Amino acid sequence: MTDYGHDLLFGAFITPTAHPVRQAVDLALVADRSGLDLVTFQDHPYQPRFYDTWTLLSYVASQTSNVHVSGNVLNLPLRQPAVLARSAASLDLLSGGRFAFGIGAGGFWDAIEAMGGRRLSPGQGVKALDEAIQIIRQIWDTESPGGVRVDGTYYRVSGAKRGPAPAHDIPIWVGAYKPKMLELTGRAADGWLPSLAYLPGGFADITEANKRIDDAALRAGRDPALVRRLVNIGGQFAAASHGPFNGPPGQWAEELAELALDYGTTGLILAADDAYSIELFASEVGPAARQLVTDERRRRGTATPNEGE
Amino acid sequence: MNYGHPLQFGTFITPTSTTPAAPVALARLSEQLGLDLVTFQDHPYQPAFLDTWTLLTWVAGRTERVHLAANVLNVPLRQPAVLARSAASLDLLSGGRLDLALGAGASWDAIEAIGGRRLAPAESVDALGEAIDIIRGVLDAGEARPLRHAGDHYRVGPVQRGPVPRHLIPIWLGARKPRMLRLIGEKADGWLASIGSGFLDPSDFRSGNKIIDEAAASAGREAADIRRLVNVSGRFGPAPRGFLDGPSEQWVDQLLPLVVEDGAGTFNLMADDQRTIEQFAHEVVPALREAVDRELASPLPTAMPRSSTVRAKRREGIDYDGVPESLAASAAEPGDVDYARVRSNYLRGGSPGLVLRPRNTAEVVDAIAYARRHRHLPLGVRSGGHGISGRSTNDGGIVIDVGYLNSIEVIDEAARLVRVGPGARWKQVATALEPYGWALTSGDYGGVGVGGLATAGGIGFLGRRQGLTIDHLRAAEIVLADGSIVRADETENVDLFWAIRGAGANFGIVTWFEFQVEPVGEVGWAQLVFGAGDTAAVLQRFGRAAIEASRDTTAFLIMGPPRGGQPAVAQVMAMVASDDPAVVVDQLQPFAQIAPLLQQQVVIVPYAAVMAMAPDAEHLAEGEPVSRSAFLKQITPAFAAAVTKLLNSGQVYFFQLRTVGGAVADVAPDATAYAYRDAAFSVVAVGTSRRRLDEAWDGLRDQFDGLYLSFESDPRPDRLADAFPPKTLARLRELKLRYDPDNLFRDNFNVDPATETS
Repeated sequence: MTDYGHDLLFGAFITPTAHPVRQAVDLALVADRSGLDLVTFQDHPYQPRFYDTWTLLSYVASQTSNVHVSGNVLNLPLRQPAVLARSAASLDLLSGGRFAFGIGAGGFWDAIEAMGGRRLSPGQGVKALDEAIQIIRQIWDTESPGGVRVDGTYYRVSGAKRGPAPAHDIPIWVGAYKPKMLELTGRAADGWLPSLAYLPGGFADITEANKRIDDAALRAGRDPALVRRLVNIGGQFAAASHGPFNGPPGQWAEELAELALDYGTTGLILAADDAYSIELFASEVGPAARQLVTDERRRRGTATPNEGE
Repeated sequence: MNYGHPLQFGTFITPTSTTPAAPVALARLSEQLGLDLVTFQDHPYQPAFLDTWTLLTWVAGRTERVHLAANVLNVPLRQPAVLARSAASLDLLSGGRLDLALGAGASWDAIEAIGGRRLAPAESVDALGEAIDIIRGVLDAGEARPLRHAGDHYRVGPVQRGPVPRHLIPIWLGARKPRMLRLIGEKADGWLASIGSGFLDPSDFRSGNKIIDEAAASAGREAADIRRLVNVSGRFGPAPRGFLDGPSEQWVDQLLPLVVEDGAGTFNLMADDQRTIEQFAHEVVPALREAVDRELASPLPTAMPRSSTVRAKRREGIDYDGVPESLAASAAEPGDVDYARVRSNYLRGGSPGLVLRPRNTAEVVDAIAYARRHRHLPLGVRSGGHGISGRSTNDGGIVIDVGYLNSIEVIDEAARLVRVGPGARWKQVATALEPYGWALTSGDYGGVGVGGLATAGGIGFLGRRQGLTIDHLRAAEIVLADGSIVRADETENVDLFWAIRGAGANFGIVTWFEFQVEPVGEVGWAQLVFGAGDTAAVLQRFGRAAIEASRDTTAFLIMGPPRGGQPAVAQVMAMVASDDPAVVVDQLQPFAQIAPLLQQQVVIVPYAAVMAMAPDAEHLAEGEPVSRSAFLKQITPAFAAAVTKLLNSGQVYFFQLRTVGGAVADVAPDATAYAYRDAAFSVVAVGTSRRRLDEAWDGLRDQFDGLYLSFESDPRPDRLADAFPPKTLARLRELKLRYDPDNLFRDNFNVDPATETS
């Protein structure tokens, strides 16, 4: 039973398919118009049926006006951390602060190596991500003196200039499942971004992972509430209930409220490739879930002053 | 020398990160001023600049027409294979507006400081050469084999190629030294040179071109394969002072020889202030164009000519240089990037020598005239590319693809008259009609194109209520073999109007159809899955239920072979033209009892929603479909037993029964070239072996009563007599002699005018 008290974010996880050419962009426009907070795309640069996610994110940001965009999650091994940091700052500047940095350590190493990337063991991948996050944060931090210096095992940056500073404090969200990645998330990230489908124990796994993240945050002298918990959810809307995340909008709202209130998960991202589901999620599920969470927090006396307006 | 390239103009804008809106505004200004290209330098180690790829993409989302390129992209800090996929992505998203300009890298201290690898200048040129190979390899999605590259600087592969970009993305290199210039001659599509103080002077440009031309010749390429682009900076002022420093007229005089004598094709103005860009666009660009036209013997083309590499893939017997001007820009030939998209159709692989894509009736006339000059080659005509019988692709021949003729227009709302282009898909037609509360029966799949179906018949889910699609045709515009444009309807060209309703492929290319459509509310749509272990009984029971159903109900049955030791299953898809759930359930009841029901889904939806289930997929088929068709008056026990045997043998992987009858049979057999009006079912079997399927099908002949030509792939000539009964065929021969005596249209159930009518 954890509630970190964050406001709720509702997002869409849209397949970055390259065909039909406009499908992913048009769905993102639907998300933007219908009031979702976030549009995200998976990133698999070795997959030719998908768009390059960085390019798609940038294009979508330029065609939308309110929605934030994020990789879900970006593939670090095939992207140069310092260039990625400047690209992220650039997109944040161009979009007026609408970028979030979802990042992962990489998983499909055969494919990564075939694309010209470096093969790492899972443990090495965590270390590499740790180093990359340091580089990225230093590049964005134009207040500190001197150049960027990270003398890592996997990435070395020696005196590169800092900047540009992004338009807003870009959150770094990490796609993590295993203990070391969760610890890195607690220590160094601003958010945890898993997919419910990859958590075999379901909600119970969230509780367990939250504890690892919280412990790591505390060990690093951070408030665990600095780490937002997000989750990708697949499911269906139906007139009657057929099971978890398979039923009418009211059922979804209750399930999401439970995720927020009892599992601390407030970034709620729907995996969907149709306009109907995205609109329903934005117009019915989101507001209903927000109301349930606000009411319950009020009842518990944990409501923050800016909530419930 | 001048290379005969189009003359274009662009800007070179500083991608400043301190005022990120400024470069975006200048890019939009460039487009508004009619310039052709917007470019930004790329220095990822420079925090005063925005990341150039991100900026290019952002600008792509805020512009519509102008091309975009880095000037030039820093390859050492970008992964070539990822860059290639990113380039294809941006090209697709921007509608074909990305050009790639690459650099080998120069500021090695800065590159190393942010984590890049330091290379010696010579190494960096080699690395760039490898990067070009990798990028071209990834972008060459027409090549089926995976890409492998094992070089000194990059190791890639095996990776799948793609995505296919929208246009052939040129690769230009920024260069000033001989080694890079030679690399351009060997591998690149253009040279980006900077001329002016601190850069090259005009004489360096000439000597550089010479190095490129020589390297190209040694690599077996033509100098004209390589575009020459020049970045220029300068200022405007009242008094002439120096190179590009003075009044507009002086700029024109100084740029003119670079075009006429040195072959510059593009000038990019390096400027960050609106007034300089405006003066350049208003005063230099038009005057320079005029001056170049005066100086050169022949006018420059508006598009880059195809390179020698592309031309090397051309097929014999095709007059590529004689493609009519109206069709040249949209034509696709084997070396073109678009070729991968148009070579094959839904079920059949192909390698045509040329695909012409007319955008209006006049261009169809041009395409037919061109085809007449190529009588020695196969000629395919394609609308949606779903044809099984029609050779809408071929090997080494010509294809006229009318996919761009896809407009849908209500021309008389009171009379419910709709004019539809042959290239529209039925799902688009259904979607366009839905807001009016109308629907027109089509086929069973929304991805099918209008043209092929509406000239053959059209056996769809509203068939028993509405008849065939062609029964709703009221008029059509046709371009005949001699290029004349005619209208056919009940009063004008009556014979032709008769012929195109069932045998249209023999007579011309329809450029629009006028249909009278029906009011149709939401419909009941059922997908039922049955255990069909007792296949013969299921077929017969389905047959009875389908025939006895009211006209509002049209049901199709699909079966495949039993798989994995499991009993066979049958899928029934049925449409009930009613939005009353009680009526729908009542109508479906007899079907629910034909066998044990394993799954069912029944919904009340618009007709358009059923058609919309077809995805917008590209056609990438390989091989030849083996498909046989027949009409049946009933499902006899003998036929049911034979089909059971066929399915159990594994020879047929797709078997479908479509119910006809109802309104289809209201029309007299001689009213249209589609004559088998009294059939109750249209049957199709798709198999793997032509010989074995033919054997089985031929053995069933006495059960059959003709065939539906759209589902028949047997090339044997006696199928023609199955497709049309004798009287119909005789009339078709007569009309063929009149409308297409030289037999230009001969690829789909050809009624050969040379054959004597017996």
